Amino acid sequence: MRFDIRYTTRFSYGDKVVESQNDLRACPAVDSRQQLLHYRVTTIPAARVFSYADYWGTRVDAFGIRGPHDALEVVAEATVETSRPAMLTVSPRWAELDDAGYRDEHVEYLRPSPHTDWGPTVTTEAERVRDLVGDDVVSAVLAINRFVGTGVEYVPGATYVGVSTDEVLERREGVCQDFAHLFIAMCRSLGIAARYVSGYFFAVDERRGATTDRDEVEVQTHAWVEVAVPGADWWALDPTNQREVGVQHIKIGHGRDYDDVAPLRGTYTGPAEHDLDVHIRIRRLAQVQQQQ
Amino acid sequence: MSDDLFRDYDHAGFYDEAFASDGQLRPHYRALADRMRTLTPTDLTEREALRDAIFREQGITFTVYDDEKALERTFPMDLIPRIIPADEWAELEAGLIQRVTALNRFLEDLYVGERAAIHDGIVPRWLLATAEGFVREAFGVPVPHEARCLVAGIDLIRDADGTPRVLEDNLRNPSGISYVLENRVAMTRVLPVAFNQHRVRPVDHYGSLLLDALRNVAPPAAGENPCVVVLTPGVFNSAYFEHAFLARQMGVELVEGRDLVVDEHVVYMRTTRGLARVDVIYRRIDDDFLDPVVFNPDSTLGVPGLVAAARAGNVTITNAMGNGVADDKAVYAFVPDLIRYYLGEEPIIANVDTYLLWDDDQRAMVLDRLGELVVKPVAGAGGYGMLMGPTASDEEIADFARQIEEDPRGFIAQEVVQLSRQPTLVGDELVGRHLDLRPFVITGETMEVIPGGLTRVALREGSLIVNSSQGGGSKDTWVLEDDGRDSGEEA
Amino acid sequence: MLARLAENLFWAGRYLERAEDTARMVDVTYHTLLESPQAAEAEAWAELLDVLHLRAAYEAGHDEVTAEAVTRFLVLDEDNPGSIMAAVTLARENTRSVRELVSTELWEAVNSFYLELRRRDLGEDVATQPYELFAVVKRRCQTVTGVAVETMPRDDGWRFMTLGRMLERAEMTSRLLDVRFGQLVSFAAPLAFHHWVAVLKSASAFEAYRKAYRASMEPANVVEFLLLSPDFPRSVRYCLEHAEQQLARLGDPERVGPARRRIGRAYAELQYREVDELLDDLHPFLDRIQQNVWRVADAVADEFFRHAPDGGQHSLTTT
Repeated sequence: MRFDIRYTTRFSYGDKVVESQNDLRACPAVDSRQQLLHYRVTTIPAARVFSYADYWGTRVDAFGIRGPHDALEVVAEATVETSRPAMLTVSPRWAELDDAGYRDEHVEYLRPSPHTDWGPTVTTEAERVRDLVGDDVVSAVLAINRFVGTGVEYVPGATYVGVSTDEVLERREGVCQDFAHLFIAMCRSLGIAARYVSGYFFAVDERRGATTDRDEVEVQTHAWVEVAVPGADWWALDPTNQREVGVQHIKIGHGRDYDDVAPLRGTYTGPAEHDLDVHIRIRRLAQVQQQQ
Repeated sequence: MSDDLFRDYDHAGFYDEAFASDGQLRPHYRALADRMRTLTPTDLTEREALRDAIFREQGITFTVYDDEKALERTFPMDLIPRIIPADEWAELEAGLIQRVTALNRFLEDLYVGERAAIHDGIVPRWLLATAEGFVREAFGVPVPHEARCLVAGIDLIRDADGTPRVLEDNLRNPSGISYVLENRVAMTRVLPVAFNQHRVRPVDHYGSLLLDALRNVAPPAAGENPCVVVLTPGVFNSAYFEHAFLARQMGVELVEGRDLVVDEHVVYMRTTRGLARVDVIYRRIDDDFLDPVVFNPDSTLGVPGLVAAARAGNVTITNAMGNGVADDKAVYAFVPDLIRYYLGEEPIIANVDTYLLWDDDQRAMVLDRLGELVVKPVAGAGGYGMLMGPTASDEEIADFARQIEEDPRGFIAQEVVQLSRQPTLVGDELVGRHLDLRPFVITGETMEVIPGGLTRVALREGSLIVNSSQGGGSKDTWVLEDDGRDSGEEA
Repeated sequence: MLARLAENLFWAGRYLERAEDTARMVDVTYHTLLESPQAAEAEAWAELLDVLHLRAAYEAGHDEVTAEAVTRFLVLDEDNPGSIMAAVTLARENTRSVRELVSTELWEAVNSFYLELRRRDLGEDVATQPYELFAVVKRRCQTVTGVAVETMPRDDGWRFMTLGRMLERAEMTSRLLDVRFGQLVSFAAPLAFHHWVAVLKSASAFEAYRKAYRASMEPANVVEFLLLSPDFPRSVRYCLEHAEQQLARLGDPERVGPARRRIGRAYAELQYREVDELLDDLHPFLDRIQQNVWRVADAVADEFFRHAPDGGQHSLTTT
């Protein structure tokens, strides 16, 4: 499916600020499921953008504005074509997770990270799930997905970046990144490598993934997960809307947790308070619908 | 000559730098001993007072944080220098150059290369990826000429047989060179006659060597006359004296983060006449504080946008970011293999035998012998958080056993190395004290080792801890132009 | 040169000057009172606090004005940035941060001055041998100045340091005149003589004044000397002229910057003045000079030191 994405971020400071420096991570990834046809970043005031791929492979657009300005607008425009992921055709046993090669390759996705650290509550739930499914890693991952998706209620604005996975589990509510962090923590506590994915999701309501007849929607950035299944490629699931990742998911990048793929990080000199206005518009392009 | 300073000196029990096991002075210490014997206890006290005055007036201090007070201490220099004959130094120098060459290759391979050492199974990926100094933000950031460890400080010790070994590598911001230079200045004023009786290789060209090396890593676009600066965390940093000292030695600006600003991925310093472009930053700030956009967002010591500017090739940050991965004490254990892998040579200077605790057999052996071994945290520095098995209590040993079981990657174990000793003046008595040596290796157009380095000495009786923060002192280190066997006679 | 270092040198100059001026004024007040026939002690110390612009700061921490409390406040109270100990500490901190710009000799002079003060028991000194203490401070300050003159190249660093000294000194001298003049014109002749001598000594000007005016002690002469003398290095005119000269070399030679314009105006006010025009309205005139000096200092900061305000962080969250 082919989409046009226009991602606009606007900061208003209420006073002059100077020496703003920022890293933007908004560019759709290029992988076996996605093709990037067009991408452009523009800013007001204008800035020279320096782009590179970071350690995780995500495109970063770095830009700065030195002179005085009282607002900053960043617009990222992309055209991307997505396809369905390959079917999962393996069903590894638990013992395969102990393979030294698997643990070596995925060490970063097996250990706790600041947002995926877990305590006894998470471990207990994860072990309970494991004991229910028997000797089958894929079933365990599906069970974790179901557990997270049904056990935690989607409540917009319920949490803040930095809430612990145990706390999400206790409060039983959160937003997409809490679903993803909890999912990842449960997988890792069982020795299953899992990583955080940041992206866009074409739907009117990101919860339940309600699809739309409309060709244009206004969304927010979304988060889901990918699991390293021994013997297969990364397997992407969306615990927030309880489905496998498909053509509506447009991936930006992945990392250990939110911090590795935060959409925008930056500093400036001037009053700390500012207003922030974010709009993400995704348009489905007609020609692609005919192919479906 | 009435009171022989050396008469009651006890050299027994350890390898002694000045005395052979038969009690005879080693040849390269004879001239010094002859000279020292002519000094009365009053002479020695006077010279110590002169030395203290020199250091204090120069403001050569480091800061020790004690509760809430910041105390300024001088780093005490012992009057008795350490002497290294030419032949011995030649071997050390070759070993140091070999080691740092391999480490530069390794860091280049890891951060901007093909990670061949990982693919070829020399060092496991997981081990590197779990090191504190494995800096993901450093991937893809170039440094010209593979000079990622532009200044390396390699800590050497001598074991019971007198064989030199590498104790640890300091590839991030090794400090101490200012003491080497200032010790030498003080020594030539405090013991001028003894100094003149030896042909000691000079160290005072360090500043010009360092400046040349820094210019050598300027981005290709910087032109003929690149602008080099030293970046310091500021006057409250414990090593500030050294930062200022080095800037002065090189005749370059000493800047703080707030003096620099990035515009269109180019770094400038703020001057009274406007912005001036900067090409090379010799930074003495830790990675995590360099740039709040990519590292610790609350850091006010760094420069927003600096890392992107370096990545764009508009400025060189040195020592390179991420060098700490090789300072990890478990990665250290792989350095001999890295030397063989990259250079196809046998290591000239060996490591201290090190046990890796994630290996079940090694861990079992270590847990069995904890009372005989030294255990160190892999990311520790300054001698903190160690277990000295032979002097530890049962509780400490049990505590470390538990910590190792919990986090086997977090520690390494080593055989106790007794460190060599050397006559050291304590009061008006000459006593044996343990010491190590930190030579400084500079990667410039060619690799250079400053003759000698910082000899640190544990001033407490029996102590093996030489760190300045824990009661260590220093000695001027004399590398001789010759093998030292004839010096003295010609004077 | 680096803007931050220029600022540190400027302040090193100001603090050194402040330490010296404070020492001299405390010394003179102390010894004038010893010789004084009627010891209006509290009043004299309160006036000194006015001269130093520290009355409010003092009263915030003290209930009454006594010789001992004021002396301690001005010599060793480190919470008072105008105390000698604080000024020397700050001068040393500023010098330390610019060590690579100043000569080693200058650093050593400042550092050993600081170390000597730290070694001394200042409370004891103030109580038992104030004369010796003030002599040490003055001598050390003069040593620092002398070393600076002899060892510093006449570069921008030197200019900022001199600029700081000159502005601080201009302010001190004008305040000294401002506070003392109002009180002294009403005094009877013999007593006034005694006090005018103290004023001149506070500015290290007694001997130079005598050379210029012989034994006559006319208020008009004192004002003329301290305000308008083109040659005496502590006169306000001299300080402004020299500050202006530094700024002329520091700024863009193609155009006159705001700091230089301000100081040029302040200097012009003094340059062709006759003392008789001033005596009737001395206070407003001196007040204007002080305001001008402050504005010059602000303009210097804006033009050369380029302060950046505190900053904020951008971060976006996902939902």
